Amino acid sequence: MSVNKYLPHVHVLPEDDANRQIANGFLLDQCVLASKIQILEEAGGWNEVIERFCSIYASEMERYQTRFMILLIDLDNKPDRLGQVKNRIPQHLADRVFILGALTEPEDLRSGLGSYEKIGLDVAQSCREEVPDIWAHRLLCHNAPELARLRATVRPFLIATD
Amino acid sequence: MMFVYHHPVIRRLYINNFRCLENFEMPISGRTSVLLIGKNGAGKTTVGFALEILQRIARGTNRAGELVKPKDFTRGRTEIPMRFEIEVELEGKAYGYSIAFEYPEGFRELRVFEEKLAIDGKTIYSRELAKVHLTKSGQEKEANFFIDWHLVALPIIQQQAAKDPVHAFKQWLGRMLILRPMPSLILGHSQEQTLQPEPRVTDFGAWFGGLMSHAPSAYSKVSEYLKEVMPDLDDITNPIVGTDSRSLFVQYSSEKKTLRLPFEDLSDGEKCFIVSSLVVAANKAYGPVLCFWDEPDNYLAPSEVGHFILSLRRAFQSGGQFIATSHNTETIRRFSDENTLLLYRNSHLEPTLVRTLDKVPRSGDLVSSLVRGDLEL
Repeated sequence: MSVNKYLPHVHVLPEDDANRQIANGFLLDQCVLASKIQILEEAGGWNEVIERFCSIYASEMERYQTRFMILLIDLDNKPDRLGQVKNRIPQHLADRVFILGALTEPEDLRSGLGSYEKIGLDVAQSCREEVPDIWAHRLLCHNAPELARLRATVRPFLIATD
Repeated sequence: MMFVYHHPVIRRLYINNFRCLENFEMPISGRTSVLLIGKNGAGKTTVGFALEILQRIARGTNRAGELVKPKDFTRGRTEIPMRFEIEVELEGKAYGYSIAFEYPEGFRELRVFEEKLAIDGKTIYSRELAKVHLTKSGQEKEANFFIDWHLVALPIIQQQAAKDPVHAFKQWLGRMLILRPMPSLILGHSQEQTLQPEPRVTDFGAWFGGLMSHAPSAYSKVSEYLKEVMPDLDDITNPIVGTDSRSLFVQYSSEKKTLRLPFEDLSDGEKCFIVSSLVVAANKAYGPVLCFWDEPDNYLAPSEVGHFILSLRRAFQSGGQFIATSHNTETIRRFSDENTLLLYRNSHLEPTLVRTLDKVPRSGDLVSSLVRGDLEL
């Protein structure tokens, strides 16, 4: 059941408990191929996400060429943070790294969208059915460019279709 | 692809005066999977023991003294009855069953104090001590009779047909999976078949045989699950090895070679994978099942734990209910605040308290709080 690191797979690095729970919900969707995805230990802050990525995960991505990474960070109402984080990703890995997150923080999403797991399930459903739904939410719509890249590269091996 | 998500089965579970569980109501309604966390001695495993008492009643154990002992009263408090109440929803019907035991002075074993079964709010039978009152239903007249007050009535209430709701409830209760597997004792031999494995799953061979006889298509579910975990798995067979016994073998294969191993020779972790595959297949074949698994992550490699837990959670998304206990940080991370229940006791002289994590104040991440021992109720 553990991920086969020699086949395309994705590691998810959540900033905190809230993002971890959203990732849990995503994996509960029956169409997500669980053997292709691994949720990593929460980093404890957006800055720690990038520090941990640079110090540990970047070199592992160089070693395993089929590994993709999704960094789940909160923008805390600072949209330029996305650029800050992107600038720290080594150029040769940029195609395999995706940065997603709420414009403020996930706690704000809960009031309109339900529990974190429900949000994760809705995200998975949106990926599965290719409907914007939840991604059109004002706190999530800034993720559109990253989503487009994810749909093109990760979705084909991560989501089962029939 | 369309998925139908059913309501989970247990609406209410209430336990009073049983070991550390006093006036204990588990907030489980509406949740397909739940994780019980808490310090050692908080009462996580005791919840499983309470469910096991109800399961054993439905499986036919009806002598009070074989179900509970005087030492099971909270702090020896025998002046108050020990009570178990469960409400479940099955096929659109709401079932409520309650039983209370007491231990009067001078008695040598416990007796039944009260017992009641209701369906959709209508009492099927009720009893006080030895007197049982059967309510009028359909063609049947109401009736009163006496039974030995040391015996539980549910196992001896005659169901009228397989479609009788009483039968459906007893069957569901008896088929609850209360699991505390001990892999070293799981050998794969069997002389009979069952759909009701015992908690240590030492009768795994009988359960495997029973499930395959009940629903041969369950094998494809077992195989599908196991090939995810063990890609070189080829086949599981259960051949006759004596006059009236069978023994499980697991065959692995690569392009050029095959390896056939007796089940007992598998590693502890591999045995747990196969137990898990049967849980998933059983829920599909004769569910909705309630599965209580005490520390399911024991024996597993760290890289397997998260996937193992999520696969069980996913399997119960579409019906049934999965309850786990754990101290494993990876397991804890694969549940979320609304389906993680913190059990907490101030001391051995105080009762177990329970609350979902989303109602427990904490700072920082959950696992760090647990390591620091900072989570309190």
